[in-house]
Amino acid sequence: MAKSGGNRSRLLLVLLLVSSLFLITLDLRGVNLASGIRGTVATIFSPVEKLFSTIFSPVGNFVGDLRNIGQSNEKIEDLTKEIDRLKSKEILDKDTIGQLSQLRNVLDLAGRGNYKVVAAKVINRGSAATFKETITIDVGSSSGISKNMTVISDGGLVGVVKSVSSTSSIVLLMSDPTFKIGVRIAGTQSIGVLSGQGGNTYLLQLLDATGDIKVGDKLVARGSEGGRPFVPGVPVGSVIEVQSNSSSITQNADVEASANLNRIGIVAVVVAPPKSDPRDALIPKPNPTVTVYVTPTPTPSPSN
Amino acid sequence: MFIIFLIQETIVSRINFPLNGFSLYIAALMVVLSLEDRTGSLVFGFIGGLIMDLSIAADTPFGQWALVMTLMGYLFSINKESIGDYTETPVVFIAFISIASGLSLLIFAIVGTLLGEEMGGLVRNLGLIFANSLWTFLITPLFLPLIIKMRRIMLTSREK
Repeated sequence: MAKSGGNRSRLLLVLLLVSSLFLITLDLRGVNLASGIRGTVATIFSPVEKLFSTIFSPVGNFVGDLRNIGQSNEKIEDLTKEIDRLKSKEILDKDTIGQLSQLRNVLDLAGRGNYKVVAAKVINRGSAATFKETITIDVGSSSGISKNMTVISDGGLVGVVKSVSSTSSIVLLMSDPTFKIGVRIAGTQSIGVLSGQGGNTYLLQLLDATGDIKVGDKLVARGSEGGRPFVPGVPVGSVIEVQSNSSSITQNADVEASANLNRIGIVAVVVAPPKSDPRDALIPKPNPTVTVYVTPTPTPSPSN
Repeated sequence: MFIIFLIQETIVSRINFPLNGFSLYIAALMVVLSLEDRTGSLVFGFIGGLIMDLSIAADTPFGQWALVMTLMGYLFSINKESIGDYTETPVVFIAFISIASGLSLLIFAIVGTLLGEEMGGLVRNLGLIFANSLWTFLITPLFLPLIIKMRRIMLTSREK
């Protein structure tokens, strides 16, 4: 009886082994038995796996964390470095976006004034060798830049090119105390001279003592012969305070520059003046304000 | 066994065990094979192996695990007769299950190599087998009573 059982087991063993080998052979011969069955199982398992994954993934993560506890400090350091790198990248991205915005605006300004310009990036500001208010830009004679060309930014006038090398140029800022430019009050024929004072304010000396000048008046460059050093029509600034002195033969006023010289990153050098004076076309138009009038409707009384 | 396989595939395999992995399914199957009689070991080995062949992650020929587990069932049946009832001493029993788990993986690697599969480095495979045996030794006591109890319930209902 035991022998019969042993034979049956051996027969079963052989049968199962042959079955296994048959399945393996089928699979190796390219019969898509396995892929079909496994595909079906995968279809059945998929929703269960998703559910279990949602529920039990914290367990796996926890064990993984325990396993890597020795490496955690190293990983924290790596991640800290990565965060620093991403932060600096974010700052760079913001800086790039800001520069692109400035470039777009300065090109827009140049386009409206029909100026032919070469865009440039500010690569340095000031110099230890000079007390002058200057910036260094990354374009030079190889880009067609020469001395006494007007430099503008998205807001308006920045300064004048003072010296040029093949790949860079030094620009004298309009805030420099030696800087002077002939200006005209937009919308009038009143002319004057604007001088830098080494700070954020400028002094306007109106040549006509009887001329009308008031706070908020916009100033534009009168322009020079041949467009050098100043092309006409460039916004220069706006009057912020009128100095009244009856004994003076000129009218003076404090002016705020159109361009913010403290945050210029992109400028444009005007390499060719416009064929005609753009006059006041470059003065930014004030945004129209929308006024909404509301008429209250009387609430009907309960007796009605 | 299919439920245990489901648990293995969906939960246990996601756990990142130190020193490589632990297979709840193989450990549970070894327990079942050890508790079955000679014919039962062979049949359960074959069926258990086929279930393993269903694994989505398996990139081995279909039937390879069935072959390995049939061989394991056979080895269990032989040892059961020669060694005697090793279920009497829990530590020996668990050690036996652990060694059997490692052996099944070793046979799987050998069969795979014979079939021309790329099985990875020898040292890595031996490390994996060792780790699996170790984890089986540590974790099996946690679920062993449950499997024995379930088997008793199934046998009782079969007798009824």
